[in-house]
Amino acid sequence: MGSNSSNMNHIPDGQQLLQDTGFSAAQIIRLYERFEFLDKDNTGHLRPEDLETVPDLDMNPIGARIIGAFFPPGKETLDFGSFVRILAHFLPADSNRTRAGAQQEPANSTTGKLRFAFQLYDQDRDGKISRDELLQVLRSMLGLQVTEEQLQCIAERAIQEADADKDDAISFDEFRKSLEKVDIDHKMSIRFLR
Amino acid sequence: MTSRRGSHSPAGFGKSLPERGLLLLVLLVLLEGSVLPLGAAGSPDTSHHTKAGNSAGNGTGNVTHKKAFPVLSLDYHHIQTPFEISLWVLLASLMKLGFHLIPRLSGIVPESCLLIVVGLMVGGLIKLAGEEVPPVLDSQFFFLCLLPPIILDAGYFLPIRPFMENLGTILIFAVIGTLWNAFFIGGLLYAVCQIQPANPSNLHQLELLPCLLFGSIVSAVDPVAVLAVFEEIHINELLHILVFGESLLNDAVTVVLYHLFEEFSEVGTVTVLDCVLGIISFLVVACGGVLVGAIYGILAAFTSRFTSHTRVIEPLFVFVYSYMAYLSAEMFHLSGIMALIACGAVMRPYVEANISHKSHTTIKYFLKMWSSVSETLIFIFLGVATVDGKHDWNWTFVTVTVILCLVARVIGVVGLTYMINKFRIVKLTTKDQFIIAYGGLRGAIAFSLGFLLKKELFPLREMFLTAIITVIFFTVFVQGMTIKPLVELLAVKKKQEAKRSINEEIHTQFLDHLLTGIEDICGHYGHHHWKDKLNRFNKKYVKKCLIAGERSKEPQLIAFYHKLEMKQAIELVESGGGVKMPSAMPSTVSMQNIQPKKPPLAKPVERALPQLPKGREEEIRKILRSNLQRTRQRLRSYNRHTLVADPYEDGLGDLLIKKQKMIELEKKIKDMNNYLTVPAAPPDSPTMCRARLASDPQAYHTKSVSDSVPAIQVDLASPQSPDSVNMMDEFRRAGQQQQQQEDQGLTMRPPSRPGEAGGARDPQKLTRCLSDPGPSADEEEDEPFLEEAKGD
Repeated sequence: MGSNSSNMNHIPDGQQLLQDTGFSAAQIIRLYERFEFLDKDNTGHLRPEDLETVPDLDMNPIGARIIGAFFPPGKETLDFGSFVRILAHFLPADSNRTRAGAQQEPANSTTGKLRFAFQLYDQDRDGKISRDELLQVLRSMLGLQVTEEQLQCIAERAIQEADADKDDAISFDEFRKSLEKVDIDHKMSIRFLR
Repeated sequence: MTSRRGSHSPAGFGKSLPERGLLLLVLLVLLEGSVLPLGAAGSPDTSHHTKAGNSAGNGTGNVTHKKAFPVLSLDYHHIQTPFEISLWVLLASLMKLGFHLIPRLSGIVPESCLLIVVGLMVGGLIKLAGEEVPPVLDSQFFFLCLLPPIILDAGYFLPIRPFMENLGTILIFAVIGTLWNAFFIGGLLYAVCQIQPANPSNLHQLELLPCLLFGSIVSAVDPVAVLAVFEEIHINELLHILVFGESLLNDAVTVVLYHLFEEFSEVGTVTVLDCVLGIISFLVVACGGVLVGAIYGILAAFTSRFTSHTRVIEPLFVFVYSYMAYLSAEMFHLSGIMALIACGAVMRPYVEANISHKSHTTIKYFLKMWSSVSETLIFIFLGVATVDGKHDWNWTFVTVTVILCLVARVIGVVGLTYMINKFRIVKLTTKDQFIIAYGGLRGAIAFSLGFLLKKELFPLREMFLTAIITVIFFTVFVQGMTIKPLVELLAVKKKQEAKRSINEEIHTQFLDHLLTGIEDICGHYGHHHWKDKLNRFNKKYVKKCLIAGERSKEPQLIAFYHKLEMKQAIELVESGGGVKMPSAMPSTVSMQNIQPKKPPLAKPVERALPQLPKGREEEIRKILRSNLQRTRQRLRSYNRHTLVADPYEDGLGDLLIKKQKMIELEKKIKDMNNYLTVPAAPPDSPTMCRARLASDPQAYHTKSVSDSVPAIQVDLASPQSPDSVNMMDEFRRAGQQQQQQEDQGLTMRPPSRPGEAGGARDPQKLTRCLSDPGPSADEEEDEPFLEEAKGD
């Protein structure tokens, strides 16, 4: 304990992060090590280029989107606190410790996780996944292997299935509903090594 | 149990004429089965004479005086063995039929119990007839003929994803759990056997090693029993895969322990070296089994790449390669079960991409059929062998065994779960643990292994067998019967039966990529990372080798989407007859795009698509989209008893009526279309009438969906489900056939008047690729369309 708290001292907002997210001290320290590793020029901030150096991320069809999720529009740099807060979405939900002053919706609850995923689809942040946005996602996932018409069909069908209020777009609730059979907690959790 | 049964069986039970007839038939078969050995024993022992036409009383030396030429004679020995085998199989099948006709019984008592009881009765009958009971559960026969179909069926349709995700847990339960069980039971039994100093019974001569051997035989959870019981209770996928996976993987442990203790029982002592060798042997057995299976699986996949010209023998390859994998593994004393599972699981994705959908259906049905018959036979034989065996009932031994089995299982599961939960993301709750512990059923494998013991080495063999049978009976009857009410009582999560939607598929893939990306950012090489690597490797190298043609490049999402569309298209065409879906236009466009290499003439399905101006097209799409909105997802449970829960059978009547309304809607659309001068035929076209008559009049109620909007029921197949239909090749074949022969197959003309511009619509042609929906639907629905074609 003692060594942990002394290590935490040089982590910016360390105590605050312990409280806000569900991470344990050991996990935060490890994440900080990773952060420093990624931060090649030691500025204490990450830039998109730093994240792009992560191997395998360029082979990921939605790699650019994921990097974009870390850098909301307008922000060019990422400090450690934001880094951790975003990663907190992927904690398993039952590691929630009751904290005094917790927000109403912890980031790693099912809703929090789904909202994060939703925002990855919904690039223009209008609260809905329009057909174009869905098409973009499909295009990036399926790449050059399919024709445009096929993509259109799939997008068309997906929207038909999910769209309950017939506004030709998928809202967050519709998104959540279409995934109700999937165990989100299991699917969107990473076992952060202690 | 089976929803379909409810609609077919009459209200009363057993008293209607056909059912009485059936019961009579069953009795006759039973009598015949028991009388014939009598007849056979009566005739002298001339089993190998093949002189045709000789009467039973042969063998009067070499003096041949001329007898009258026998016109009719009885020569039972000639056909004895196959006849008896067929008789048993027939009996098993009739029993199965019988159970499903008795409505209440099969809801309360699991089928396995009933079958054992039947076996007991048959054994009793045979014994009463004074005959010697045939040694039906002969280990050779069991392990080489009865067990493989069940395991292959399980392995081929194993849901890979949940299996892999829970592999760690399953392995721990299988390996460590079984070891714990074996040593706990064996050790404590030995202790108990030694503790009666007052009246030394023959228990005292029981050494430690035979006890341990007995423990290892009786501790293994049996896949046959687990399958039989769990299929009826429909618990959620996680628990099912945990218990079932454990029962499959503990075969390796059982094999090693069995051989180990058997070897050492001869010697009498065990050294440390032996233990180390044992551990190495375990690794060899397990990994070797999997390797053998994987090799055969890849061979099978590779072979299936070239079968495009000989579709008929495709299923044969699957079966033969799998069986050879099993036999090869058994040859080296590796784990045959694991080989079989590995073979089925490895070959499935590639084989399914290569074979025609008819072959796919064939494989599915044959596997179900064989495994069903096998399972039935196993349980019946268990009953027969119980009656037959020479039993040595020892109260102490048997009761202690049963109690120890239960206790060991509970302690094992609880302890292991405590350890496992530290590493799992989704923890196992107490309810889960209870079900896992309670679901540890023993079955025929334990009995067969006991049967294999040599009497010389194990003087207490009969006692062992009695105890094993008691444990089996206890678990199957008591646990098997009570697990269903307990599941209800504890409100354990049931299986979610709906099929996947395309949204789910898209989002699941998206989330996979997302998680992989996040893991890469964190530098954490977890689950997703390796899965992604494996997928990429698979796509880049393996698929190119093992899948024929351009299917190798098709991404999974596209394949899934096409399956959905095909199913929908077939359903629409089948039921409505001539209703064309303009919103299907994009999909026909896409289907044509699938086959870039085909000559431009080929169109997979020639749909009559009038050329509509863009604005009209939009209007039509809007109207039809509102109809397609209601994609009702069918709830189907995959269950060996119902096999393919046929989506087309039930509710087809609904579909037809709704199609009728659709046609009315089409009328309005056609009015907009200035191609046609004559309005379309009234809804009650001959097609509709005949189709309606042919279909089941019972299923003719329409659910009150909103009245104005006819709803279309679409069954969505998931790529993993056994119901998924592989339509691709059939349609391609259809395209090819179109080129070659003009007039092949069904021709469905949309309702048309003579005055109508014939050139506006070509008759729609459909080849007979509609054979997938279950056998009865085949006869019913295809007939009227055929008649329609002939009538034209």
